[in-house]
Amino acid sequence: MYRIGIDVGGTFTDLVAVDPTGRATLAKTASTPRDPSEGVLDGLARLADTLRLPLSQLLAETERIVHGTTVATNALLEQKGAKVGLLTTEGHRDVLEMREGLKDDRYNLRVPPPEPLVPRQRRLGVRERLRADGRVETPLDEASLRNAIAALKRAEVEAVAVCYLHAYRDPRHERATAEMLARELPGAYVSLSSDVFPQIKEFERVSTLVVNAYVGPALSRYLHRLAGRLAEAGYRGPVLIIQSHGGVAPVAEAARLAAGGCLSGPAGGVAGSRYAAKLLGTGNLIPFDMGGTSTDICLIVEGEASLAVDRKVGGHRVALNSLDIVSLGAGGGSIGRVDAGGILHVGPESAGADPGPACYRKGGTAPTVTDANLVLGYLDARHFLGGRSLLDTAAAEAALDRLAATLGVTRISAAEGVHRVVNTNMAEGIRVVSVRRGVDPRRFALLSFGGAAGLHVTDVARQLDLGRVIVPRVAAVLSAWGMLATDLRFEVARTHIGDAGRLDGAATKRLFEELEADAVARLRASFDGPLRVLRSVDMRYGEQIFEINVALDDVDWSAADPLPQIVERFHRRHEELYTYAMRDQEAVLVNARAVAVGVLPDLPQEPTLEDRGRIAPVGERRIYLGDWQSVPVYDFDRVSPGHAIAGPAIVESAMTTVLLRPHDKARITPHGWLDIAVPVRAVD
Amino acid sequence: MARNSFVDPITVSVIQHRLLAIVEEMGEAMLRTSYSQILNSSRDFSTGICDLDGRLIAQAEHVPIHVGALPWAARSVRDFFKGDIHPGDVFLLNDPYNGGNHLPDLTAFVPVFDGAKPVYWSINRAHQSDIGGATHGAYNAGATEIWQEGIRITPLRLYEKGALRRDVMEMIATNVRHPRDFRGDLAAMIGSARVGERRLLALAGEFGWETTYAAIEAVLDSAERQTRAVIAQWKDGVYKGQGILDDDGHGYKDIAIRATVTKRGSELTIDLSDSHEQVIGFVNSSYPNMRSAVAVALAYLIDPHTPKNDGTFRPVEVIAKEGTVVWARPGAPVTLCTNHCAQEIIEAIITALAPACPDRAMAGWGRRFRIAIQGKDPRTNRVFIWHMFQARPGGGASSAGDGWPGIGEWQAAGGIKFGSLEVTEVRFPLFFRRHEFRPDSGGEGRFRGGPGCELEFAVEIAEPALGNTAGDGVRHGACGILGGSDGLPHRYTLHSEGRPPREIKTKEVGIPIRSGDVFMVESGGGGGWGDPKLRSAEAHARDVELGFVSAPSARKAGG
Repeated sequence: MYRIGIDVGGTFTDLVAVDPTGRATLAKTASTPRDPSEGVLDGLARLADTLRLPLSQLLAETERIVHGTTVATNALLEQKGAKVGLLTTEGHRDVLEMREGLKDDRYNLRVPPPEPLVPRQRRLGVRERLRADGRVETPLDEASLRNAIAALKRAEVEAVAVCYLHAYRDPRHERATAEMLARELPGAYVSLSSDVFPQIKEFERVSTLVVNAYVGPALSRYLHRLAGRLAEAGYRGPVLIIQSHGGVAPVAEAARLAAGGCLSGPAGGVAGSRYAAKLLGTGNLIPFDMGGTSTDICLIVEGEASLAVDRKVGGHRVALNSLDIVSLGAGGGSIGRVDAGGILHVGPESAGADPGPACYRKGGTAPTVTDANLVLGYLDARHFLGGRSLLDTAAAEAALDRLAATLGVTRISAAEGVHRVVNTNMAEGIRVVSVRRGVDPRRFALLSFGGAAGLHVTDVARQLDLGRVIVPRVAAVLSAWGMLATDLRFEVARTHIGDAGRLDGAATKRLFEELEADAVARLRASFDGPLRVLRSVDMRYGEQIFEINVALDDVDWSAADPLPQIVERFHRRHEELYTYAMRDQEAVLVNARAVAVGVLPDLPQEPTLEDRGRIAPVGERRIYLGDWQSVPVYDFDRVSPGHAIAGPAIVESAMTTVLLRPHDKARITPHGWLDIAVPVRAVD
Repeated sequence: MARNSFVDPITVSVIQHRLLAIVEEMGEAMLRTSYSQILNSSRDFSTGICDLDGRLIAQAEHVPIHVGALPWAARSVRDFFKGDIHPGDVFLLNDPYNGGNHLPDLTAFVPVFDGAKPVYWSINRAHQSDIGGATHGAYNAGATEIWQEGIRITPLRLYEKGALRRDVMEMIATNVRHPRDFRGDLAAMIGSARVGERRLLALAGEFGWETTYAAIEAVLDSAERQTRAVIAQWKDGVYKGQGILDDDGHGYKDIAIRATVTKRGSELTIDLSDSHEQVIGFVNSSYPNMRSAVAVALAYLIDPHTPKNDGTFRPVEVIAKEGTVVWARPGAPVTLCTNHCAQEIIEAIITALAPACPDRAMAGWGRRFRIAIQGKDPRTNRVFIWHMFQARPGGGASSAGDGWPGIGEWQAAGGIKFGSLEVTEVRFPLFFRRHEFRPDSGGEGRFRGGPGCELEFAVEIAEPALGNTAGDGVRHGACGILGGSDGLPHRYTLHSEGRPPREIKTKEVGIPIRSGDVFMVESGGGGGWGDPKLRSAEAHARDVELGFVSAPSARKAGG
């Protein structure tokens, strides 16, 4: 039986089929943004062609399809989501637009306020109120609800979000509202805060909920259409959608919790990184995924990617647990410019893919990172992406000349400057992200992803005093492979707030049992394999505002009162993260979580390559590394495991170009990857 | 300096990006290790690098009102310890009459050495949750002299050649109310300054000291050129502006801060000497805080991403007179000055320059008006202190569009987060009936000021509680500019059964609060920008549809 991974990006749809021996077959096709399921079906047909099978037979012999989609992300970023109405507790309709009083870009006071996803006239108060302890202060007033729904009906909303104060304590008013909505506004996509995100803190809850209602209709339509087309074409197995938290979920759940799919796209790369960590037997990796406009990074610590609850997508807060991926504003299309004071900056402005760098000859004239790399000789104008596109060196030179004139330096200095500044920005970005998470980047290896990364990654590593860089042979395969190896994940969380010293231990145990039963039931609806359950809590000290997540893996739940063990784990976790614990301060429990993980059978490993003997260069290129020098060029597709390549050198394939700097040494792994040792100062 | 020419512009660019990254990393280290909520959540701290003579080299973008003040502090420490600064030393300072801005802002300095010669200061300034004095949390509206505001730390050596001076540490910690938090926060501050030291040494190790010095000169010159390029575009002339404080809480009313700004070529002279004489209450400014307010005004008018360093502020000359409210004589209380009169200094300068650079000037952002309530929670019988951060006032309009709703004050500009009402109800005996934008509160203009907020809450106590306030702006709203009108001022009232509603003043100590009392808080709106007659019909219709304006022309001119 086959397993198929499908990653739909902005430009291309990548597909990988893995057969029972672990052999991978690739297909690439243009994405079809209006209805991405068309591109998916095209790609599957191509995959079947390559395997010399009819599509229906390939699908009949496929046991699992895992799919990463940007439908939800794009709806949010391109502001093409549903027309949403929001019902709130009367007197509290502006929580969404108050944004907790925060504004970014501290010194920029000449900027208009952002538009909320639901404008004020569609945010309506309903007479009802719960107290913090769950008691009803004001019963749900039917007349007021009826009026509000009538107003939303007149406004012709497609989706309704319902978020009442303290609804995480008791969903009764929200559920009664949903019942009336079902009668009065049948067909609307309805999201309840007590269902989507039953946690305390009204801004995070309402923002997450509104995102859910905004992207939900489009995502739901798309996923059901895709599932329908696959069924028509003969597929009988599950379609699993990769979620922002890095696990996968079946179509129905992904459509219900649509906000959980907002980072589905980059999650594929993270899954690939986790898989790489396993393959390499090294737990600590920083995936470095350099694209046209940005570079995505995250931290894989001991083989696991960390999660965060403070993510924003397109400026909108999504408080669901998501992979902690950070985007730096630097990529191959980033533009070099000189400010009024004569300082060279690179990015965040980008020429993107269209018009693209000057050397693409698609109308771009601004000097980009790619243009600089071409002028420096790192890229081969005739063999860029395996010769699929030719680069215009003269156009790149002209663009760099304009920059050089502004700076008062030579063309080659300007090109070197763009290269150095973008490397500095990326290295410093990685450093800040690591420090913020309490991690020393020098103890990690950089994992190079994306076509542009290979020319920068060895210098970024040097700047970080980080001695190891890994370049997989085909990153797209790695992502798809990682997606296929990802387990199912259902998380259920509920606010259970109180000073841990005063909560009832037995009640806490019961709550976890309920959450666990709920998570397992959701998983069992679509999965009958082996499962494991993870319990955790979000806690903080009394005076703090932010909670930290504390895993409860080895708590003895047979104890009459598990709370002392939970509190002790919190102190220890706080110490790990922040260097200190405050054992004499009250520890406050805020949320309880249970995650049911459906464990999928391990994939067969990607087959290793044969030793093809000594690696010989396929050519020579003149490149600039402080001065012009001739360096050997190697074919990445013809490297041989166990052998080594010494820098300076270029290693090139149709997918990527890697620059080995002087004193770098690349060992070839059994799978034909580059494992590069970079000379750095010793870690103290 | 001539030696600039030895460094190529690429190296200068790389070092500039590196310097900004260093101060940012110092901030991250602080966030991760500080104890108090005001530091790890509200981020009321800043990190920076000065050279030995106190010239600002780089500063992270944390709290605007800290931006221009570090040089005065660094110079004060240098002058006191000149010739006696050693590797491993750590210095402290908070006294506003010795280079500090106000007592809660404690500053830690780590010297950075080129061989045996101290050359830079790595600096962390952080607002302490308590600094001793007569009232909890430092804001004492009753203070008439600085000794009632907290412990004064003149330039002081806390570590000597790497060794902690335990006796000194003990003495300071004994004089604040939460010694454990204080020690934790101070350790975080010093740790953060040491990160800066380590990274600066690595920078010099990579490029060499001579290149580093020369590149830093070029970085400062570059910021100066950027600032001058902007100022040069403005119309030459002599301009006047003012900002008026309601009162000082001790009898002074309508306290005017007046700026005469002369703009010629790429230079500005800002003369504040015509400002009101110094007053009794804590709205007086220290000299460094006044300089900081001037720097903030400039930072808001130039390009927002120009780095803030010594070069940025070179085109500005400041003239002020000791004994005025913007530069109080030693001994006067000053704790509120980072809010007020800092904001009125900003207001005086920006309103003065508005005709010279109308597209850059923004209307006034709301003033601060804080309430703290101390009482006993009947559910737990424990004492609580609650600080109100909700009901933010509106932001000012600008040529870019309408002001932000409920975003806060001019000096913080959207940098202070308010807590969840749900969490507040769990933790405090308070019940929030309403928290929404306040219609008709934004000043009118071609672009409208952002609305303030309405907050209505009941205090559910069994025994009487006490309230303190600190702030300004119940009579003077955020200023409109270029024909725009002022935002509505704040109005806070206390409703107690059987008594007439009581208007709350901005500087009160010990307001009695009875069980079931209800606070009605209406915060001010931002100022409007430009002639209201030029506001488009569509924009006006949208205001009404959104409910930011109650009905067409419901509000008369001038509120």
